[in-house]
Amino acid sequence: MNRAVDLALLGGAAVALSGLMVGPILATDPKRIPLQHQPRRPESGLPVRRARQQEAATVRAARGLNRAAGTLAASVLADSSIEHYRGSFKNRAMVTPLIVSAMTLATSIHGTSDMRPSAHKARDITYLLAAATGLLGTGFHFYNVGKRVGGFSWQNLFYGAPLGAPMAILLSGLLGFCSERLRESRAASRPEIFHLPAGRTIAAVAGAGLLGTSGEAGLLHFRGAYHNPFMAVPVTLPPIGAVLLMRAAAGKAGREHAFSRVWMRLLALVGLAGVAFHAYGVSRNMGGWRNWSQNVLNGPPIPAPPSFAGLALAGLAALGLMKEHPHA
Amino acid sequence: MSDDALHSPRARHGRAPDVFRPGGWVPMREYDNDEAVDFAIIGTGAGGGTLACKLAEYGFSVVAFDAGPYFRPLEDFASDESEQTKLYWTDDRIVDGANPLQLGSNNSGKAVGGSTVHFAMVSLRFRPEWFKARSLLGYGADWPLDWRQMWDYYTEVEQALKISGPVSYPWGPPRPRYPYRAHPLNAAALALAKGCEAMGIKWTETPLATLSAPRGLAHPCVYRGFCVTGCSTNAKQSALVTWIPRALAAGAEIRDLAMVGRLEVEKSGLASGVHYQRENAWHFQRARNVVVAGYAIETPRLLLNSATDRFPDGLANSSGLVGKNLMAQSNQAVWGVMEDEIRSYKGPPSLAITEHWNYEDKGKDFFGGYAYMSQGPLPQLWANTLTGARGLWGARLVEQMKDYNHVVGLKIVGEMLPQESNRVTLADETDQYGLRIPRVTYAWCDNDKRLIDHSLKFMSRALGAVGARDIWTQDDDTCHLNGTARMGVDPDTSVVNADCRSWDIANLWICDGSVFPTVGGANPSLTIQAIACRTADRIRVLARRGELEASARLVARPQLSREVSHAAKASG
Repeated sequence: MNRAVDLALLGGAAVALSGLMVGPILATDPKRIPLQHQPRRPESGLPVRRARQQEAATVRAARGLNRAAGTLAASVLADSSIEHYRGSFKNRAMVTPLIVSAMTLATSIHGTSDMRPSAHKARDITYLLAAATGLLGTGFHFYNVGKRVGGFSWQNLFYGAPLGAPMAILLSGLLGFCSERLRESRAASRPEIFHLPAGRTIAAVAGAGLLGTSGEAGLLHFRGAYHNPFMAVPVTLPPIGAVLLMRAAAGKAGREHAFSRVWMRLLALVGLAGVAFHAYGVSRNMGGWRNWSQNVLNGPPIPAPPSFAGLALAGLAALGLMKEHPHA
Repeated sequence: MSDDALHSPRARHGRAPDVFRPGGWVPMREYDNDEAVDFAIIGTGAGGGTLACKLAEYGFSVVAFDAGPYFRPLEDFASDESEQTKLYWTDDRIVDGANPLQLGSNNSGKAVGGSTVHFAMVSLRFRPEWFKARSLLGYGADWPLDWRQMWDYYTEVEQALKISGPVSYPWGPPRPRYPYRAHPLNAAALALAKGCEAMGIKWTETPLATLSAPRGLAHPCVYRGFCVTGCSTNAKQSALVTWIPRALAAGAEIRDLAMVGRLEVEKSGLASGVHYQRENAWHFQRARNVVVAGYAIETPRLLLNSATDRFPDGLANSSGLVGKNLMAQSNQAVWGVMEDEIRSYKGPPSLAITEHWNYEDKGKDFFGGYAYMSQGPLPQLWANTLTGARGLWGARLVEQMKDYNHVVGLKIVGEMLPQESNRVTLADETDQYGLRIPRVTYAWCDNDKRLIDHSLKFMSRALGAVGARDIWTQDDDTCHLNGTARMGVDPDTSVVNADCRSWDIANLWICDGSVFPTVGGANPSLTIQAIACRTADRIRVLARRGELEASARLVARPQLSREVSHAAKASG
C-alpha cells in the first residue's frame, strides 16, 4: 500500500517536473514574439512601452522563479518520499516535507501560469512554510547525525540523515518568496527584495544554492568512491555556475551575461541527465531494475539531481531580469 | 545450475565459467600435460590465485590446479548454511594435541578461489613491527621482509580488491585511502563502537573486501549476511571474482577438481612437474617451476607426500621445518544479550573493529596482539555455538535461540606463537585419492592462554559497558592457519627465502600462509596476497636476470638477493 502511494507520488512528481523543465530549456526566448507582434504606437511614446516591457519582464522573471521553486519542490517531494519511506517514517515529522513540498509544487504550478503582476497571499504563505520546513528539517538532520555513535564522523555523514538535503526545500521556499516580491515591484521602479536589487539577490541565492547542492553531491559521490567518472560532473560544473552567478550579482549594470545563461542551461541539462545516470546506477545493483522496489531505495537517489536544474532555472530568471532591469 | 560443478570439471575445452553471468563462459587457454609450462601452481586461493594472475600478466605460462569445484556464485550459492558447507575442505584429517583444532569450516576451503570464497573479507595490514617480531618485540621470529615494501604491496592488493575501508585508519603509519568507502554499520558493529568508547579505546569501520559501490559486473553488497557461507552476489572480492578472471584473461589455465598428489623431482634435484588426479585418473603436468599454495595443512602435506630417495623427509625440508610451527589464530568470543534488537546477521559479520591491543604494548602480560570485531553468526552456527561452546541442549537451547535477534558478540583474532611442536605430519591412513592424510597436532602455550585471558576479560567489560546481560565467554575457538613452511634468511631455520623460493629446490616455491614466521593479531588474507604480489615481482626480476632458469647449481641457498639483504639490514 505504502509502496503504491510512493510510486504514485514519484510518478506525479516526475510528470510535473518534466512539464516544468522541458518548456524553458527548449524555448528560445518566447518573450520576444508577442513584442514583435504588438502594433506600433508611435504617439504613445517610448517611456510607456518601456515600462510595460519592464513590467512584463518582471512578471516573466517571477514566473521563472515559480518554475524554479516548483522544480526544486518536485525534486524534494520525490526524494523525501523515497528516502523517508526507506526510513519507515520512523518519526512522524518525516511526513512533513512530503506535504509541504507537494503544496509548494502546486503553488508553483499556479504561480507559473499566473500572469498577474501582484503577489498572492496563499503562495506567499506556502513559500514561507517551505522555507521554514527546510530550516527545521536541517535541524532535524543535524540532530540525527549528531546523536549517532561517532557523531559527525564520515560514517554518519554518509549514512545518517543527509545534512544538505532539506536545504532544497528551503531554497524552493526562498525562490518562491522572491518571486512574490518581484510581482509586487512596480514597473517604473527597480525590482527589489528587502531593498536589495532583486536580480542580483536571486542570482546570489541561486549561486549559493548551487554551491551547497554541489557539496551534498560531492559528499555522497565520495561515499560512492567516484566509481564512475561522470560522478565528477555535479561537483565541477555547478560550482563554475555558482561563480558565474556570484559575478553577475556583484557586477556592473548593463552586462549581457550570455555565457552565464548558456551555462545555466547546461546545468539544467546536467540536472536532467543526472536522473538518467542515477537510473543507470540503480540498474547496477543486485537484480537491477527487475528488483526495483529494493534498488530504488538502495541505489543513487533518482529524484535528487533535478535540484541543479531548479537552481539553474532560478539563475536564468535572475539573469533575465537583470537584462531587462540593468540595475535589478 | 547449468551443470554439476562438484562432480565434473568445468574449466576445460578451452573455456572456464564466467563468474559474472549465470551459465556463462569465458575463453581459457589450455596447455598439454607434456608441455612444460613456466609455472604449475597448486591452489588458487589468496596465494595461488593471486600469483597465477600476476605471473600470467607478466607473460609466463601458468597452469593453476585446485582440488575444488569452479563455482559461479550467482547461480551456485544458496542462502543455506548446510548447503554451503560444500565450500569447505572436509576430507579426512586427524587432529590431536592438547588443544586439537577444529578443521573444516572457517579454516579451510575447497573451491577455485580457495577459502577466499567464504572468508569474512577482513582485510588488515600487519603492524609494521610484526615483520621484525623477534628483534623489536622480543618473541617469535623475524620476517625477511621490509614492512615499507610490504606497505606498497598492501596498497596494490587493496586496489585490486577495491577494499571498502574507513576514510582514515586510526592505527599504524599512514596508508593510502581505501579505494571504496566503508559500509554502513549494523547494530552489532555499533555495540562494539559504544563499548570501545566506554573503554576509552579507538575503533573503526573494518576494511572489508566487499564492494560498497558497483565495480564492473559485480554489484555492491546487499547486506545479505551470508558472507562466510559464500557471497551469491559477487560483492565479495574473493580470488574467484578478482584475480582468477584476470589470470584467465592473461592466458592462465585453471584446472578445477584437480587434486595434486605428488610433486616430481628429477635426479638433478629440480622439480619437473606435478602428478594430479582429475576425472578419476592420474595425470602428470610438466613444469619448469612448481608453486605450492595449498595453505598451512595441504602445503606441508604435499611436500611430505612427495618424499623421494634423495629427499626422504619430504621436499624443501633440509631444515626439518616443513610442517612445523603451525600457527592458528585464537578466535575466542564474548557473547551477551541486548534489550534492543541487534539482528547481527544483517550485513557483513565484522563491520567494526578495534586493533587497540595490536598496537598498544602497555598493559599486556603476553607477547603479540589481538584485534576484536563485531560478530554476526547465522542461525545454524549460533545453535552450534550454543550447543558446542555453552553446552546447551533441549529446552534451554530453544530458550536461548529465541534471543537470537538480541545476541551481540565480540570476537578476537589473536596471535598465537610459533611452536615446533604444533605441526602437520602424515598419518598412515589414506584418503579418497589414496594419499596419506595429514595429522594436525596443536597445543596452546602459556602465552597463548594469557592473551586469550586478557582478551576475554577486556571484551567482557566492553560488552558490559553497553548494557549487555547474560554475558558469557566462548573459550575455545580458532581461525586461520599459518606457518608450516616459514620464510627466513637462513636455510637452517626456514623453508623458503623472502621470495618464497625454497632453499633446497631452486624451482620449487611456496606461496601462501604457510610461509608466515609469525601470525600477528590480524586476519592474514591481505598479507598472503601482498606476499604473492611481491613474489610475482621478484620472479619477474629474477627471470630478467636469467636467475630463474633453474639448474641444480643454482640452488637459492647462497643467492640471497640484494634487495632482501638490504631490507633485512634496513629494518633489522
